[in-house]
Amino acid sequence: MTVKRMRFLQELLRFVGLDGRLHLEWISSAEAQKFVQVVTEFTEKIKALGPNPLAAFNEKIEALGPRAVAGPARRDIPASKLPPAAEKRKAKMASN
Amino acid sequence: MIDKVKSLLKEGRVDIFLGYRMMAGHPLPHGFVKERLQEVDELISSNDRYPLEKMAARIAAEHPGIKIGMMARDCNTRAVNVLSIWNQLDPEQIETVDINCCPSNLKDGAQCSYLKPPRSGFHKKQVGIDNQYDPEDFENFDQPERFTRWINEFQKCIKCYGCRNICPVCFCKECSLEHPDLIKTGDLPPEVPIFHLVRAVHMAGRCIDCGLCEEACPVDIPLRLLYRKVNQIVSDIFDYRPGSGPEQSPLSVLGETALLEPEPLKAAGG
Repeated sequence: MTVKRMRFLQELLRFVGLDGRLHLEWISSAEAQKFVQVVTEFTEKIKALGPNPLAAFNEKIEALGPRAVAGPARRDIPASKLPPAAEKRKAKMASN
Repeated sequence: MIDKVKSLLKEGRVDIFLGYRMMAGHPLPHGFVKERLQEVDELISSNDRYPLEKMAARIAAEHPGIKIGMMARDCNTRAVNVLSIWNQLDPEQIETVDINCCPSNLKDGAQCSYLKPPRSGFHKKQVGIDNQYDPEDFENFDQPERFTRWINEFQKCIKCYGCRNICPVCFCKECSLEHPDLIKTGDLPPEVPIFHLVRAVHMAGRCIDCGLCEEACPVDIPLRLLYRKVNQIVSDIFDYRPGSGPEQSPLSVLGETALLEPEPLKAAGG
């Protein structure tokens, strides 16, 4: 099942431009030397591919500033404090 | 078709029929029942598409034993097949009445919103991906280019879950895309490209290429292209096309029994 999924994932990653970064190897916990060898080789291979393109993208996103927050309202703002437009509207309605 | 549906309801061959009806000026899904047979006169088949089979699965789950009829285009039929394979629907319970979606001159009028898909604009074609591409067209780009274009598309995502909500074959009660340990919450755009790749992997062996996801996406991410590639990979490697027949998906864990054969006991002593 793992082999099926990895084979599929390899093709998918190739399609979105992240080829060559996936590797599957069956290693027993008793084959420590093989583990070292496989990991070293793969690390070299990855280094040769150059910096992770995602890192550059993530930096760009961080540089844009605070991100929009999807989800429940921030807890540090008391619920009673309304945003400015709503405050004005509320005051106006009270005065009418 | 109206007569057919009326007779299905009258004869009790179905308890409820799912089709479309004009409500508040929009063609919306509606369940027609025998008690209100006159409503069937308002039955229409519109260009707009909704995942009727997903609604049918929901109804069937809440009312076991109910017989459901529904209007079906080709994509609906494929969806019913996939849902049956994944045990979400009992095919015996569903009776489909086919609508024509084939745009041939030999048939009167095909009805499908996908027959006139929206065209992608200039800027999108420059930095992003034209939604009309086939996987082969897209593979003309080299690796770095592919990556940049996909990221430009994925970063528009506002995590509305429209794609997942409307997908006829998405039925998990606990969706991985909502799991806080897998997808970091509170970020827009959601982890790029993890969010979309997770969805793509889950679509393997299930996506029936109906295109509702792309229609639902408010920012026009070329989802259909991505899932078409997923389907192509599954077809090439496993020779499996979802919705085409009753076989289980190769990536399904249902029914796979792993047997651990016990070793014969070695004779004691020497």
